[in-house]
Amino acid sequence: MSHHLGDQLSALVDGELDGAERDRVHAHLARCEPCRAEVADLRELKRRLRTLGTAAPGQAAMTGRLIALTGPGGPMPPRSGRRSRPASGRRAVRALTRPQPGRPGPSRRRRYLMLGTVSLVVGLSTVAFTVGGGGGAAPGPRITPPVEMYSVEHAITTGEVPFDPPATPAAPATTAGAATPAAPATAAARASAASLP
Amino acid sequence: VFTPSYHLSRPGRPPWLLVAVLALAMPGLLVTACSRSAAGGGHGTPGAPGTGTAAAAPSPARASRAAARPGPGRRPSSPLALRLLSQAAQAAVATTYQGEEIVTRWTNGSGSVLVSDIWHVSGGQTVTQTLAVGAALSSRPYTSADDDGQQPEGVLGVTVPLVQLLAAHYIVAYAGTGSADSRTAQVVEARRGDGSVAARFWLDDATKLPLEREVFDSGTHVISHDVFIKVRFSAAGPAAVPAQAGSDDDPPGPWTDPLSGARLRALSGQGWLVPAQLPGGLSLFTGAQTRTGTGTVLDLGYSDGLSVVSVFEQRGDLAARLAGWQPAVVAGHLIYVAQPDQRSLTWDSHDMVYTVMADAPAPTVDAVVGALPHDGPPGFWQRMSRGFVRLASWVNPFG
Repeated sequence: MSHHLGDQLSALVDGELDGAERDRVHAHLARCEPCRAEVADLRELKRRLRTLGTAAPGQAAMTGRLIALTGPGGPMPPRSGRRSRPASGRRAVRALTRPQPGRPGPSRRRRYLMLGTVSLVVGLSTVAFTVGGGGGAAPGPRITPPVEMYSVEHAITTGEVPFDPPATPAAPATTAGAATPAAPATAAARASAASLP
Repeated sequence: VFTPSYHLSRPGRPPWLLVAVLALAMPGLLVTACSRSAAGGGHGTPGAPGTGTAAAAPSPARASRAAARPGPGRRPSSPLALRLLSQAAQAAVATTYQGEEIVTRWTNGSGSVLVSDIWHVSGGQTVTQTLAVGAALSSRPYTSADDDGQQPEGVLGVTVPLVQLLAAHYIVAYAGTGSADSRTAQVVEARRGDGSVAARFWLDDATKLPLEREVFDSGTHVISHDVFIKVRFSAAGPAAVPAQAGSDDDPPGPWTDPLSGARLRALSGQGWLVPAQLPGGLSLFTGAQTRTGTGTVLDLGYSDGLSVVSVFEQRGDLAARLAGWQPAVVAGHLIYVAQPDQRSLTWDSHDMVYTVMADAPAPTVDAVVGALPHDGPPGFWQRMSRGFVRLASWVNPFG
């Protein structure tokens, strides 16, 4: 690899060579296919890096991958020795153009954000629907219908004797009756019934 | 963050599509589940009986005027029969009598019998003491009075308001003479429009006091048979009863006199359910109120002259445990039935407890229960709202 130009190729691409050096490198490139290929790769890399700031949606994945390459803990391209080695440059470009599963890009993040939001809404709605069942709050008093009292009143309505079920536990005596000044109804009624065969 | 859904999505089928489908389908599935449960439930709204949430409650006087007019095309009632029944209702108040009343009812295939001693002084109190069948004197006496004849008090269900309703809903016919309690009686029948007998009365020939009554369902089966036996027309009152009557129980409050139609209409505007009609041709003919330890109770009386249904309303909810009541499904609704006679039914709906006591055929009772309000399953949005409120209350540290 000693006949190749190495770092001078990067300097050429970056426009850092003066006239004599640049002429010497161009002369070498005219006869060295590997160095031409490396220069082409470096230029492509530079072009892509330049367009990062105005990346089209289709190039967003490239941005993500590039960040993944430089970010902490990410898979770094193998670097053995000088960074000017042509092989390492090509690997870097291939790494940039190769799909990188496991690293979300911004559009994917948006999708995941949306997915998470919808999942949260659906989950909360399901839980709310579940816990929203059953009875509502009970603001009123808790009532056990006073059967005897109602039975007497019903008897007055029907014009018959109270017919109240004997199985009803002995509730506090309840009342009913015609409330007339001459003879107010006073007593409670307790009826008995027997089942017929 | 990667999620499996991304990797599982097929190429060309964006994952948000799946998410959108899920988001749209989930409420739909919930709504479907909710509506299915609602279909098995019942009404769900405080409705009103088939007749609507009628706030217009006719006064008993209006009902009596309607009773005098037979429906178009209907055979008119016999004036003699109507007069006999009116005299019977008056006799139950104006005559002094005592005797033993045996009431037999058949409900849902089983029968019950009630035996009571009755003493009545003309224009004054009526003392009723119920006896257990085959046992000695068992119960405390029940005393009532009807000085002005407007209280629906009588013998064997023959009262002034009920006779008026009977004339309005049935064809009242004279059926000749008969015998009851070894006494000569005038027989009066109440017939339906199809000519079938709905009830038959035996009225004492001398005093017109009712001595016997049979009530038939539409299938001509006897559903109620009441007799008044050992009748004596004397002023001799019960020796032991007055000492017991009213001695140990201080009533929490007497029921009011029958409420006027205007008062009942006013109550319907105050959140009470006061339908003018209930299924089975039952008309509102009386109402009263009383106060209890848990609030005001409204009693509404409905009848067609033979069947009588009392609807008691009280604001609140049923107690969690109801001793003496058993859950049962009536007219598709889960309610509680008092054991063992299954004559009293209760449930709550929209913070109101309804208790129905009925002397009516089972189909009529079912229809009445079905027509009154019941809570159905909550709607989807109501359930969601309630659920979010509960969730918020759980996570609220200040709640």
